[in-house]
Amino acid sequence: MASTPASVFATVVFLRIPEFARRSATEQARLRAQLESALAVAIADVREASRIVLDAADGIVLAVLGDPRSALRVTERALAAVAAGLPLGAGITHGAVRPAGEDRGGLLGDGIAVAAGISALAGSSKILLTKEFRDALADAAPGAEASLVRAGTHTDASLRSHQLYHSDPRAARARGRRYALAGVLLFLGLLGAGVGYRVSLEGAKSFAERVTATLRAGAQGIAQRLGR
Amino acid sequence: MAAKTPKRIGRYKILGELGRGAMGVVYKAEDPALDRVVALKTISLAEAEGRKDYEKRFLLEAKAAGKLTHPNIVTIFEFGEEDDLAYMAMELLQGTELRERMRASALPASEAVDIALQVAEGLAFAHEHGIVHRDVKPGNIMLLERGPVKIMDFGIARMRHADHKTSAGMVLGTPRYMSPEQISGQPVDQRSDIFSLGVVLHEMLTGGSLFAGRNVDQIAHNVTYIEHAPPSRSNPGVPQMLDFVVARALKKDPAVRYQDAYEMCADLRDALAEMKGRAPARGADETERTQTLKMEAGAKGAPLAPAASQIVADTRLPLSRQFDSSAALERLERPWRNDRKRLAHAPRPVGLLRRIWRDRLPRRLFAVAVVAGCLGALAAFA
Repeated sequence: MASTPASVFATVVFLRIPEFARRSATEQARLRAQLESALAVAIADVREASRIVLDAADGIVLAVLGDPRSALRVTERALAAVAAGLPLGAGITHGAVRPAGEDRGGLLGDGIAVAAGISALAGSSKILLTKEFRDALADAAPGAEASLVRAGTHTDASLRSHQLYHSDPRAARARGRRYALAGVLLFLGLLGAGVGYRVSLEGAKSFAERVTATLRAGAQGIAQRLGR
Repeated sequence: MAAKTPKRIGRYKILGELGRGAMGVVYKAEDPALDRVVALKTISLAEAEGRKDYEKRFLLEAKAAGKLTHPNIVTIFEFGEEDDLAYMAMELLQGTELRERMRASALPASEAVDIALQVAEGLAFAHEHGIVHRDVKPGNIMLLERGPVKIMDFGIARMRHADHKTSAGMVLGTPRYMSPEQISGQPVDQRSDIFSLGVVLHEMLTGGSLFAGRNVDQIAHNVTYIEHAPPSRSNPGVPQMLDFVVARALKKDPAVRYQDAYEMCADLRDALAEMKGRAPARGADETERTQTLKMEAGAKGAPLAPAASQIVADTRLPLSRQFDSSAALERLERPWRNDRKRLAHAPRPVGLLRRIWRDRLPRRLFAVAVVAGCLGALAAFA
């Protein structure tokens, strides 16, 4: 008895060629072939059991199961690979999808609708992502979401509002700098607090003399070892 | 109830009957003045009801088609009336209807494109002269034995500027080949013919019936809402480029369809040039008749599917043929052990402990805090 698989949450990437419908069929065929080549290279290291590729009228949809990080990486690669000559925008979300029809010849679900909607907003060589994707990315790889920065909100055809993000590597670097600064300040603060406490007990002069004596003894010990 | 064949209509001597259409009979006839054999299309005006409409429509057809002289459009010689018959003498074509050709054998993709290209050229010419055919279908396309393809029966062609409905509220055309705007009774322009040609091309390439239905309502629904599958899905021999040509011709929204037939011609020419030497496509068959649909007076046509409802109501997308997704679909059918937990639930918020454990930067900060704390404690208490 074949049961209909329930919906699953997957990362849905909609790679859309802008203004596709208005191009000549020759150009459409060329762009389509280019997009397929670029995607074939980009998804090479994604396990086959984790990705479903769908045809859309003006692009390609990729559904990635359980690996939002790979989905983002594939999208960035696809966009980088086609930067020369292929206009391409991408919308990414994390939403419900399920196999469509008896023949399982496709996929349907809200995730596809949302990804399609936001991909239409993404200009050429741009990736727009939803908060749902950001949350999925954070869940799968905490910290990876740091490279996503707010890009406004979008109300889709169903009048649902989506908080949008775009990928910006500078945001991750800035976060790294903030954490480094916080580390230094925390280190100095905690060490300073310990020293301050001791100074308040012994007095500054006595503490300084004891520290100096300790350092001197340490230096002499080192010198003797080196002399031996 | 077959009526008796007249011996003469006007100055034409009737040689035989060629066929019967929705509105009249077509005879093979001889024009003694020019010693020329013609096809004589007649419409009976005997019935009092609707006579004026018929007459008016016939004259419109004759006038409209009479203006068109093009290798891909049947030539009209003369039109007139006699007793209860209106008649139109036109070029007698020796060939096969495309409908028959599709029934007889498969059409190679290149042949299908060649036919579509010629029809598009004829339509482009007609559109340029302000005439929309309104009934482009295989039964109205004649493949001559030697020579070009001819578009026949501008029988329901009307001047573009005329009202789209008759006073009785009728919409003319063949439902299966009508555009969404035509079948819903909205005003049509040349883009409606382009849609119809898109349907014909799709059927030539796939051998299937694109918008078949049990009744007119079902066909109307299919035409208005159902997205077609690319021809190459049912016939892998069809080059992908033709999928794009067909897709553009079959856009439900006329604004994103080919805006004129010349545009479609250009794409078909490119496709033909690219296709030399490709494998043949399959043929097709389906009955088709011109029908007159009664529209309720004052009824608004069914709206074209707006983008919102399309997205919400139909998110189904087909699998790509270029990439194998069977392993992932198999995984959906029989999920892995961890999948129920991973795939069945929306993402969880990341808590502090998990953040420290899994995120490199907070983990480092935590380590710095521990080391600094130890050193601070050492300084304070040692």
